[in-house]
Amino acid sequence: MEAGTITPAGERSSALQRSPAARLPDRALRWGLTALSVGVIVLIAYFFIRLIVESEPVFRQVGVVDYLFSADWVPSKELYGALPLLAGTLITSAIALLLGIPVAVAAALFVTELAPRRVRGPLTVVVDLLAAVPSVVYGLWGFFFLIPKLKPAEEWFADAFSFVPFIGGTVTGPNYFVAGLILAIMILPIASAISREVISTVPSEHKEAALALGATRWEMIRMAVLPYARGGIAGGAMLGLGRAIGETIAVTLVIGNAPVIGDSIFQQGYTLAAVIANEFGEAASNELHRAALIGAGLVLFVLTLGVNGIARAFVVRAERRPA
Amino acid sequence: MSAFAFEPVSARRRRTDRLARGAVALLTGVALVPLALILWYLVRQGLGAISLDFFTTDPTGSFLGDPGGVKSAILGTVLMVALATAVAVPVGVGVAIWLVEYGRASKLAHAVRYFVDVMTGVPSIVFGLFVYITLVIGGIGGSSFAAWKGSVALGLLMLPIVTRSAEVVLLLVPNALREAAYALGAPRWKVVFRIVLPTALPGIVTGVLLAIARAAGETAPLLFTAAAVNATAFDVNDSMNSLPMLIFKNVGQAQDRLVEIAWGAALTLVAMILVLTLLARLIQRRSRLS
Amino acid sequence: MRYSQFLALGSAAAIALGLGACGSSDDNGSTGGSSSSSATLNGAGSTFQAPLVSEWASRFKDSSGTTVNYQPVGSGAGIAQLTAGTVDFAGSDAVMKPEEVAAGRDKGTPVHLPIALGAVTVSYNLDGVDRGLRLDGPTIADIYLGKVAKWNDQEIASLNSGVDLPDTDITVCHRSDESGTTANFTQFLADYSRAWADGPGVDKSVQWPVGTGARGNDGVAGCVKQTPGAVGYVEQAYALQNDFTTAAVKNKSGAWVEPSLDATSAAGEGANPPASLEFSTIDADGEGSYPITAVTFQIVFQDVCKAGLDKDTAASLKAWLTYILGDGQGVAPELEYAPLPASIQSRAQARVDALECDGQPIEAAQ
Repeated sequence: MEAGTITPAGERSSALQRSPAARLPDRALRWGLTALSVGVIVLIAYFFIRLIVESEPVFRQVGVVDYLFSADWVPSKELYGALPLLAGTLITSAIALLLGIPVAVAAALFVTELAPRRVRGPLTVVVDLLAAVPSVVYGLWGFFFLIPKLKPAEEWFADAFSFVPFIGGTVTGPNYFVAGLILAIMILPIASAISREVISTVPSEHKEAALALGATRWEMIRMAVLPYARGGIAGGAMLGLGRAIGETIAVTLVIGNAPVIGDSIFQQGYTLAAVIANEFGEAASNELHRAALIGAGLVLFVLTLGVNGIARAFVVRAERRPA
Repeated sequence: MSAFAFEPVSARRRRTDRLARGAVALLTGVALVPLALILWYLVRQGLGAISLDFFTTDPTGSFLGDPGGVKSAILGTVLMVALATAVAVPVGVGVAIWLVEYGRASKLAHAVRYFVDVMTGVPSIVFGLFVYITLVIGGIGGSSFAAWKGSVALGLLMLPIVTRSAEVVLLLVPNALREAAYALGAPRWKVVFRIVLPTALPGIVTGVLLAIARAAGETAPLLFTAAAVNATAFDVNDSMNSLPMLIFKNVGQAQDRLVEIAWGAALTLVAMILVLTLLARLIQRRSRLS
Repeated sequence: MRYSQFLALGSAAAIALGLGACGSSDDNGSTGGSSSSSATLNGAGSTFQAPLVSEWASRFKDSSGTTVNYQPVGSGAGIAQLTAGTVDFAGSDAVMKPEEVAAGRDKGTPVHLPIALGAVTVSYNLDGVDRGLRLDGPTIADIYLGKVAKWNDQEIASLNSGVDLPDTDITVCHRSDESGTTANFTQFLADYSRAWADGPGVDKSVQWPVGTGARGNDGVAGCVKQTPGAVGYVEQAYALQNDFTTAAVKNKSGAWVEPSLDATSAAGEGANPPASLEFSTIDADGEGSYPITAVTFQIVFQDVCKAGLDKDTAASLKAWLTYILGDGQGVAPELEYAPLPASIQSRAQARVDALECDGQPIEAAQ
């Protein structure tokens, strides 16, 4: 390895000190990379500000509260109440969490605690492969396979449990439930990967202590593993939630895109992300409509920001625990 | 805990244990079902569309005649993702280098990390919307849809993924290597480019491949930036076709042939992404720093 | 060193790709040898005319070398894209509303050019029931209002004695996007149903009391195809392609007319559009007229260059419009669209000839 450029002797106090010219690449690199990094901050800040500025017309016209909480989204009549969209986003995400997190945690537990050693690798790869399927393919599969296959089961379920609120009533092909189910599948890999990470960091002393005192395997998991991993699992669930909230294409293909709040989970709805995808083309020249859609994007952005912030707080807290 | 000490395990506890473990195994099985179903369905519905013509002809858009193939979509995806990569990777790796070598634990570094994290969470449609507002409606480079604008949206998507994974790998490079180089008088830029980056390269490549796999499958950012046309075109100033857009357009069509093409395109896309993902994992496994 | 070779290879590849992408024009012969955009026209809009436009585009490409890219995104989106300047022409089955015209004020006055007539069929997916089920305006309106929920409802049965109607629920399929087809369909419903006119009304996008929404004529066709018991309004070409059973609708003269090329042409006969050429053939007079026949337009700005096109693109646009109003009219019947009556066709051609580029008539392409 060559030594650094040696400057003419007598001009520098040390033979290893470099001339200003030789130091130029270093300075250029430092400033270049710093500019790049600051540029990222500036970009995101500009992003946020631009969203606010472009959505301002609709908030001025309708008011923030009315925008968020009135239930009529009828662009042709200049009515922009995003409640059905917000409700749809939250309902599908809730279904996704309810269905997806237990499965994700179970898969993580199985892989780290219960599975024979040889199966662990392949099993992990398979669950993670779900993340390789793009959103549009999930939508394609949901549209042609899930919707027709699930309809009879949904109808039976709606009839059998019609006394439960939000279950009974007519069943449409595309509905909240199918969208929530597909979202659950999509968040499986993230939630499972994070749960796996956290569960594998449980100190073996805790686990061995429980086993030594005669606990069964399940009791050991219940007493030593889950409480310790609780924070991280919650963080993983929040990250999955963030993903579910922002998912567009898979949802818009299976939710029916009806700007109403359905009476049951087996009816059509709409989400914030789906409305942007569907209506942007028609809003190209209509400033108010465009502002309304950008407003939906802003709400999405704020929601995911909040959820991801909570997720990070959970994960960081879990990581910081003394072993 | 003392209640357990030295007592024989009761039948009830044994039963609970078996039931619980069974439930966990069952749920894990449930987790495997969707992937199996999707892959099986993809192959079953999509294989029929695959042929040499499928890959070598463009979609014709013809209503009654032959619907054509997906050539322009594959080429469009490759081109747009390549362009996005060419922008996102240097910037992403650059930011990662700054974070590890220069910023470290400083306040600015914390801010940069935070903002990169924020970027990770932004839904892809919001990126598309942002590019639509600033570049398409804003009229930069012409007011029409353009493939390069789609690449910008994809690049924004890829940037945080590349930065995050590059940062992780760069942190794994042993400090001893850096210190040895400095001790021998190497200037900083040489240490970065000749020592640190080559060592971290496999890990960075893994991250880049995963980001590419992600970008190749995205539809939402392209909806209102690059749109989609049928003909093969290499002009990045015009709209360009892409596999996700083609699939999206063909879902819900009543024509069976178009639906079959959608499945074939989906199979192709998933195959491409799987290859990239497996390649990434292979490189990761063979890397010196795991 | 292996690493620097890798770096060099990667950069070379990226640069090569970038240069290749930026510099080249697309592979079809450019008419003027100038920038690639002169050989490409971008349009967007109505899915109603999309089958016809795509056929025209492919033939036009063969004869003139110009590529016409048409995105079937719905009339509303097409109009919006036109006024936003992201496309060169819009396809629409609905005339632009005053506020839409105002939105494009800085680009000039829009010119509506009728290009063909098409039938809006009422297609249904009902096992055992043949085509030609009789439905009149009030009944269809009641179906779409949700008042008639089953196929064997009295209202339908009373029009179709002798037809064995099953006890199936009616699933209504409608458009979820802004659609000229919807505007024409709701116009027909409003003409025959007070409840519809006072309720959802007539527009490219209305608040549908019942039903499932889908994007585009193709989406509604998909909805009808996949749902037993469904009914939907789709353009004739889509109905034919999917072998749908279509209803016979009662027209103004009281005759039950199924959608067909003859019935569509009959609806256009005798139409006398105003100078702006903005007219409708919904509920047209004539014994043999299909009552839900729609005129479909392509919309451009009067001064196309002021609206943002360059000279070469303007020339290509004029050539395209001349083609579809000329030779293209002979292609329309192949897809069951009715060509324009001769008088309307010559008036439209005159409007095309009167289009300007920066105040001058558009010169033909070299």
